[in-house]
Amino acid sequence: MKNVARNQIVVPHRSARRFYGHGIPGVDLEQLAGKLIVVEGADGSGRSTQIKMLVEWMEGSGHATVQVGLKRSTLVSEELVQAQQGNILSRTTLSLFYATDFADQLENIILPALKAGFVVLADRYIYTLMARDMVRGMDEAWLKNLYGVALEPDVVFYLNVLPEELVQRSFAKNASLDYWESGMDLGLSRDMFDSFMKYQTAMQATFRRLQASYGFTIVDGMRPGDVVNTELRKKISAVMAGK
Amino acid sequence: MKTFAELNFPGRLIAVEGLDGSGKSTQIYLLKRWLELQNLKVYFSEWNSSELVKAATSKGKKRELLTPTTFSLIHATDFADRYERHLVPLLRAGYLVLCDRYIFTAFGRDVTRGCPPEWVRGIYSFAALPDLTFFFKSDLEVSLKRILEGRPQLKYFEAGMDLRLSTDPYESFRIFQGRILEQYLAMSTEFNFLVVDANQLVEKQQAGVRELVAQRLDLSSFHRAERPHVPPSADLRKKAKVEEPVP
Repeated sequence: MKNVARNQIVVPHRSARRFYGHGIPGVDLEQLAGKLIVVEGADGSGRSTQIKMLVEWMEGSGHATVQVGLKRSTLVSEELVQAQQGNILSRTTLSLFYATDFADQLENIILPALKAGFVVLADRYIYTLMARDMVRGMDEAWLKNLYGVALEPDVVFYLNVLPEELVQRSFAKNASLDYWESGMDLGLSRDMFDSFMKYQTAMQATFRRLQASYGFTIVDGMRPGDVVNTELRKKISAVMAGK
Repeated sequence: MKTFAELNFPGRLIAVEGLDGSGKSTQIYLLKRWLELQNLKVYFSEWNSSELVKAATSKGKKRELLTPTTFSLIHATDFADRYERHLVPLLRAGYLVLCDRYIFTAFGRDVTRGCPPEWVRGIYSFAALPDLTFFFKSDLEVSLKRILEGRPQLKYFEAGMDLRLSTDPYESFRIFQGRILEQYLAMSTEFNFLVVDANQLVEKQQAGVRELVAQRLDLSSFHRAERPHVPPSADLRKKAKVEEPVP
């Protein structure tokens, strides 16, 4: 970004908006002038790094940004973390708890920011939540109705990284595997490494299935971070220009 | 949607519905006592009472953070927690489960708040229908009088203040409850509500409720197999070495 000083600021093109399903009552979609960009992918797929680089780039290009992610709502995030640690909630309950967290951020952060013309960068969105539940045997139609409240983003990137590589990245970072990211609650295997591989493979298959209905842009996350970022920026520029 | 009986559960679920101040909680309490005194396996569950979700709900209500969508979702979370952890296992174990409010409360309130009915019903579609649903139908004015006399300080969401129906909490409450009543009446036939005239005396209502329960359910099949749980008072008696007659 050597030429930041001379960059022309691009005024984003207005996009046609819709909710996936019934949506949020009383929202005027016409008023949502900003852009919603989602980065999806497993832990270790490079999401946070990519988003950090995108924020730098966006702000350098004159766009105001807001970041959202899972488990960050004022309403239920604390309780959700607590519930997860105890691992005492059953499936439907946990699913609805996450949906509450999502809806709270959608209504109190995402929609107001879009209305104010911000670029909203979401570190995961409804797809991770749906995929996790689908892997755990929950009904897809039920989930689609539940997340019918969600606004369709302008673009969704799915950073695809093979489980073999995810496991290496996780060890390089923490020297351990996360209980939930290994799907240990599913009882796939008592061996955590084994469970991680099986769970992440199932998650990727589910994402591919969701891709058919939600149309993600699949990005090869095995490449170096800056190469991936160049690709994201190119696509985002096209979205901003309304192409 | 099917009832627990239709799903071949050994247990049965009885729900009460009605406006705030309709007297339904008093009625279900008396029903519970009657069943317990017959030494039947009874469990009681109240709307919005799951320990885990309660903290979030009360924070949301206190700080007025809830929108119609999150109001709906957080109550669904509470319901799901009670449903999966208590109601279903107990019904599997052959209990009579009594619920002070069930999914119809959500159907009525959330739709009144502007949530799409299909969306709300879809969310609760994991739940089976009660085997008996008593609807305590009171005149709006009677319910309002009961609530407004007992607890003159109306809570924000309870009064439907979030809907901006009126700046006066009492007026807002009236309009809000009136709309919920309309929703209840519209559901009455679809979900086979057993309508109880809640303007009658407590005893008269209870007699009707007990009669219907005895008629519709084979209560003898819910007897506790062994000696009942020793209630705390009896426990104390034992400690005090008061001999109980040997049966």
